[in-house]
Amino acid sequence: MSSVVAKGPRDLQKNVLAKGLCSACGACTNLCPYIDMVKGRAVLIEPCGLSEGKCHDFCPRAYIDVPSLDKLIFGSYRKDLALGSNISVTKARAKDSEIKSSAQYGGVVSALITYALETGEINAAVLAKSQDSISAEPIIARNRKEVLECAGSKYIVCPTVTGVLEAMKQEKSKIGVVGTPCQITAVRKMQASNFEIEADKKGLLIGLFCTWAVSPDAYNYIRELVGPAKVTKLDVPPPPANIFVIQTEAKKIEVPLDEVRKFIMPACNVCFDMTNEFADISVGTVEGEEDWNTVIVRTKEGERILQGAIDAGVIETKPLEKARFDHLCEASLTRKKRVLTETEAEKMAYLTIREEDKSKIVS
Amino acid sequence: MTLEKGLLNIIITGVGGQGNVVASQIFASAAVRDGFYVSVGETYGAAQRGGAVMSHVRLSEETQYGPLTPEGRAHIVLGFEPVECLRTIGSFGNEKTKVIVNSRPVYSIDVLSGVSKYPAVEDVLKAITELVYSLHVVEATELAKRAGDPIMQNVVMVGCLVGSGFAPVKVETLREVIKETFAKRRPEANLKAFELGVKEIKRTSPL
Amino acid sequence: MSYVEIDEPGERVLLMGNEAIARGALEAGVDFCSGYPGNPASEILEALARAAKKFDFYVEWSVNEIVALETAGAAAFTGLRALTAMKNLGADVCADFLMTVNLSGTRGGFVLVTGDDPSAHSTTSELDTRNYARFAEIPLLEPATTQEAKDMTKWAFDLSQELGVICMVRTVTRLSHSRGVVTLGPIKRDKRSAEFSSQDVWTSGSSTIECMFHSILHEKLKRAQEKFEESKFNWYVGKEDADFIIITSGTGWPYSLEAVKLMELENEVGILKLGTTWPLPEKLVASHLKHAKEVLFVEETDPFLEQNVKILAAELAAEGVGPIKFYGKKSNHIRGEYGAGTGELNVDIVIRALTETKKATYPLREKEYSEKAQKLLGSYVPARSMGFCAGCPHRASFWAIKKAAKWDGREAIVTGDIGCYSLGLLPTGFSVAKTLHCMGAGIGTANAFGNLKDFGLDKPVIAIAGDSTFYHACMPALVNARWNGSNILFVVLDNNTTAMTGHQPHPGTGVNAMGDSSPRILIEDICKAVGAEVRVCDPFDLDEAVQNLYEMLQNEGVKVMIFRHECPLAFPEEKKARVYVDQDRCLGDECGCVRFCTRVFGCPGNIWDYEKGKAKIDEVICNGCGLCAKLCPVEAIIVEEVA
Repeated sequence: MSSVVAKGPRDLQKNVLAKGLCSACGACTNLCPYIDMVKGRAVLIEPCGLSEGKCHDFCPRAYIDVPSLDKLIFGSYRKDLALGSNISVTKARAKDSEIKSSAQYGGVVSALITYALETGEINAAVLAKSQDSISAEPIIARNRKEVLECAGSKYIVCPTVTGVLEAMKQEKSKIGVVGTPCQITAVRKMQASNFEIEADKKGLLIGLFCTWAVSPDAYNYIRELVGPAKVTKLDVPPPPANIFVIQTEAKKIEVPLDEVRKFIMPACNVCFDMTNEFADISVGTVEGEEDWNTVIVRTKEGERILQGAIDAGVIETKPLEKARFDHLCEASLTRKKRVLTETEAEKMAYLTIREEDKSKIVS
Repeated sequence: MTLEKGLLNIIITGVGGQGNVVASQIFASAAVRDGFYVSVGETYGAAQRGGAVMSHVRLSEETQYGPLTPEGRAHIVLGFEPVECLRTIGSFGNEKTKVIVNSRPVYSIDVLSGVSKYPAVEDVLKAITELVYSLHVVEATELAKRAGDPIMQNVVMVGCLVGSGFAPVKVETLREVIKETFAKRRPEANLKAFELGVKEIKRTSPL
Repeated sequence: MSYVEIDEPGERVLLMGNEAIARGALEAGVDFCSGYPGNPASEILEALARAAKKFDFYVEWSVNEIVALETAGAAAFTGLRALTAMKNLGADVCADFLMTVNLSGTRGGFVLVTGDDPSAHSTTSELDTRNYARFAEIPLLEPATTQEAKDMTKWAFDLSQELGVICMVRTVTRLSHSRGVVTLGPIKRDKRSAEFSSQDVWTSGSSTIECMFHSILHEKLKRAQEKFEESKFNWYVGKEDADFIIITSGTGWPYSLEAVKLMELENEVGILKLGTTWPLPEKLVASHLKHAKEVLFVEETDPFLEQNVKILAAELAAEGVGPIKFYGKKSNHIRGEYGAGTGELNVDIVIRALTETKKATYPLREKEYSEKAQKLLGSYVPARSMGFCAGCPHRASFWAIKKAAKWDGREAIVTGDIGCYSLGLLPTGFSVAKTLHCMGAGIGTANAFGNLKDFGLDKPVIAIAGDSTFYHACMPALVNARWNGSNILFVVLDNNTTAMTGHQPHPGTGVNAMGDSSPRILIEDICKAVGAEVRVCDPFDLDEAVQNLYEMLQNEGVKVMIFRHECPLAFPEEKKARVYVDQDRCLGDECGCVRFCTRVFGCPGNIWDYEKGKAKIDEVICNGCGLCAKLCPVEAIIVEEVA
C-alpha cells in the first residue's frame, strides 16, 4: 500500500505545524532527533533534509486518504457515511466490579485490553496514564494492574503514539493501542506505510469516540481552581449540562464548559472523525446511562476479540436503542457536515474523501 | 650545502591541532644552532579551532628575512595533510618546489556536514605532482602510532624533512633539540618518531 | 623550552616576538606586569609569569585591560618599573585611564605594549593602536624585527622613566608570533622599593591644572622627539639622495627590503625605516623628503605614517620641500584583498606597489602556473571552516540553546560575545548567535532587546558569555538589566579557563598568573547577589539542560543559566574512553537519522565512511567525551571506558 502523498519534514512544518493543526498524537516525535513534543505541540528543531519521511507519512493532519485506508483495513469503501465501516453497534459494559469502579463509564476499554493481555492476544498495550488525574503520559502496560492504573477519561492531549513507537521497538508484534481518532489513524498510516518499522504491522486498535481535547495550557487553569488539592476525576456530563466537572478528594467543582472550550486544540476543529472510524473496535458513552458504553465493532479481528470477551464473561452486551443509534449517527454527520462546509478549505486540504460521499454528507 | 641565493623557504602546513608550531619550533631551533639566520612566521589563535595553519620557516646564511614567503617562492612544502598541502602549493609553490606530504586526511567540518566534498586523496596527490618538482608521500600518522602516539606525526614529518637532505640542517642537531624540548614529555617516544621519519624518507621514492 | 630566562648575554637564540618583548622587559629590570589575555599579545605576560618567581618580580592577569593598566600605572607611581600588555581591542578598554595617566605622568618606567592584528586573523577588529599614541600624545615605538622587539621594549623603560610618561610599544601578529634570531643582553635585577610619600599626588588634574599638565605633556613629547632624531632604531638604506624612497615601519621593513631585493632595485630606491613613529623625528624625515620626488609608504594597517609625514611635508612646503608624489593607502597602491587600509601586508603587496609606481615589470608568478594552480585548487581543495574542538562543551551548550529556543517557539534573539564560543555564529554553533562585537556586548545589547516590548519587539532574549568574559565585562550590564527591568536569559559558558587565548586562568579558576592558588570567585554568587534567578547545569546532561533553559525562558526578569563543564584541552582526561560506531546499527542516510552526528552535530571526531555509507569515529581526533553517543537516535555509538 503506497503512500498517496510522499513528503517530508518541511511539508510537515508548512502544512501542519505552522498552521497550528498538530493534534499532539505523537506519531512524528520519537522517530528522530529533529522533532520533539513540547507541551502539546510537535516542534521541528530543524529539517533533516529528506524530502520524504516517516514524520509526514504518519501524521494524521498531513494527509488522510479515507478511501485508501478503508480499502486497506476493511477491504472496501464504507457504506455507512455516518459511522464509517462497521459490523455491529451495541451497548456493552464490563462485568468485573474492580474494572467498573475504576472506569469513567462502562469500563469496556479496560476490560477488553485486560482480556486481550491475559489471553495472549496482545503482548503489550499502549495506554494513557495520569498520575494526577489531570495530565497524562503514554505508558506500556503488560498486566491487569497496569491497565487499571490507566482507566478513566483524559481531556488534556496525551501523545500516545510515541508510546506505540516505543512498544514496537520492544515487542515487535501483537501490540494493543487505545487512542483517539487522530492517534488510531496515525497507527493505521504506520501500518500502511512503505517505510520500514521494526514490527509486524498488526495490532489490536481500540478507538475512543472523541469530540475534542484540550491543550496542556488547561493544566494551569484547573490547578488554579483546585489549589494544591488532589484531583480524583474530571468529567464532561452529557448535554444539556454544558459544564465541566472537577472532582477532588474534598469536593466537586463545576465550571461552565465554555471556559474549558477555550483550551480546545485547533487540530480538533478540523477533525472529521468522531467515532474513530479506523479502529478495530470503537468505544464511546451512552448518553444518560453512565455505566454503559456504546461499542462499534468494525473489523473481523475486533469482532473475534469482543466475542471472546463476551464468551469469557468479561463483558456483557445489550442492543442499542434505535433512538440512541439515530442520535449517534446524527451527531457524527453533523460534525462531518460542519467540518466540510464551515472550515476554511486550506485547513481541510489534508482530508481526501470520495466526492460522492462528500456531496451526500453535505446535502 | 649552500642555499640558492642564500635563502631557503620552507612551509609547514596542516590543520590546527596537528602540531605545526612545535614542528616549526624544533626545526628552526636546530637551524639556529647550525648557524643560520632563521625567521618563522605563523598564524594561530583561532586556527586551533580546526582551521588551516601555515608555518613559514625561512633559512638564510646572510641576514634575517621577514616572516612570510612571497607568492610562488616556497622551496620546500612539508604537508601534514593532503588538502592543506595542495592549498599551500596553490599560493606558494612553483615547478622547483619539493614536497613531502602525510597522506592521512583530516576532514573539515564543511566536509563532514556535507557542504563540501573531500576529494579522493589520490586526486589531491596527483594535482600536487602537476604543480611541483617532486612529491614524497609518507604515512606519518601510522609511523607515529608505531612510535607510541598518532599525535607525534609532526615529529615524524620533521624527521622526513631532515632525513631528505632538502634542508641543510643536521640530523644530529635535531636529535639534541628534540631531547631538550621533550625532556619532560616522552623524549624517547618523540626521538623514535623522529628516527622513523628519517628512515622512511630515505626508503620512499618521489612521485 | 624558554630561552627568555637564560642568563647568557651574547647568546643567539630563536625567540618569538612576544618572548623577545618579555626578554626586553626582563633586561630592563621590570618589577610589575599586568595584562589580559588577547591575541596576539598573550604570550608576553605568559613568558613573564614563568620567569617571575625566578627573577623575583610580580605578574598578574588582571580582570580586564583597564584594571591592568591602572594597577601597572599605580606600580609606576610608586617608582617601580611596570609593563602592561594587551591586544589592540584592549587599548579601547583601557583608554579611559590611558587618557588621564598620560597627563598625570609616572615615576617609574611605564610601558604599554599593544598587539595589533592586521587582517583580524583572531579578532573582531584590525584597529591600529598607533592612533592611540597620537591621541594620548605619548611616545610610540614600532619594532620591525624580533631583535628590535627586545631592544625597543628595554629602551622604552629608560625613555619612560626619563621623561616621566607612559610609552607605547606597538607590535603586530606577524612580529609577535613569528620567531627570529635574537642576541640576548644581560638581565638586570635591582629590586626596587615601592614608595608613596605623603607628598605624592597623582592626577591628571582638571580645568587649569589639566591644561598645565597637558602643556607639560607636550614638553615631554618634544624631548622625546629630540631623542628620536638620534635613535639607532631609525635608519636609511639604499641609494643616497634617491628620487624614489620607501618610508616604512614595523613589519613593513623586512617586506620592503625583500621586495626591493627581489626586484633588483637596491641601487634605485632608498628605504627610510622608522622605529620611533610618534612623535615623528621630523628633522630626520625632512632630510629625506628634501631629496625625494616620490614616496611610497609601507605600514600596517592605517595610513598613520602616511598622514603624519604628509602633514610634515605640507609644513615644509614653504621651505622648498616638494612637490612629492605620495603613494600608499590613499593612492590605493598598498592594498589588501578588500582594498587599501585593510588586511595585512606581505612582500607581494609591496612588489605590486613597486611594479605599479615604478612601472617596473616583475611577475609575481608565472601566469600559466597560477591559472593551473587555481583550477586544481577549485577542484580539489574544500573549505576548512573553524569549529569547536572534539569534546568541547560549547557544542553541547549551543545545541541545548537551539533546542530550547525551538521548543519555546517565539524566535528568541541570541546575542554572542568574545571567546571560543564566538563560533556560535557559525554552523559549528548551529548559527544560533546573531550578534558579535566586543567583550560584554552580548549581554550589553541584550539589555535593549529585552526591553523593547513597548516598541513591539516581544521575543525572548538569550545573551551568551564565557566565564572569563563574565568577569571582564559583563557585570555592569547584568546589574543594568536588573535595575532597568530588562527581560533576558543570560547563559554563561563556564569551562573553567580562558580558552581561546591559550587557557589562561581567571578569577573563577582558583589559580593566578604565577601559578599560586587564589580564592575562587563564583559566577553564581555574583549573579545571585544581583538578584537574578540562577541555575547551574552541565551542558553534557543535554535533556536537563534543555528542560531548564526552556523553563527559564517562560519566566520574567533576569535569569542566569551557568553551563559548567571543563575545557577538554585545558583539562585533558588521563585515559580517553574508546568511542566507535556499530555500523550495523547505524542508520546513516535513512529517515530517523540522516547523518545526525556528522552533518548536524558536527564534532570533528564524527566522520563519514564513504565506502560503507555509515558513520565512523576518527580515533585520533575523538576526545572520548561520549556526547555523540548520547545523541545517536539508535544508540549505534558505543563508549568503552578504558580501565
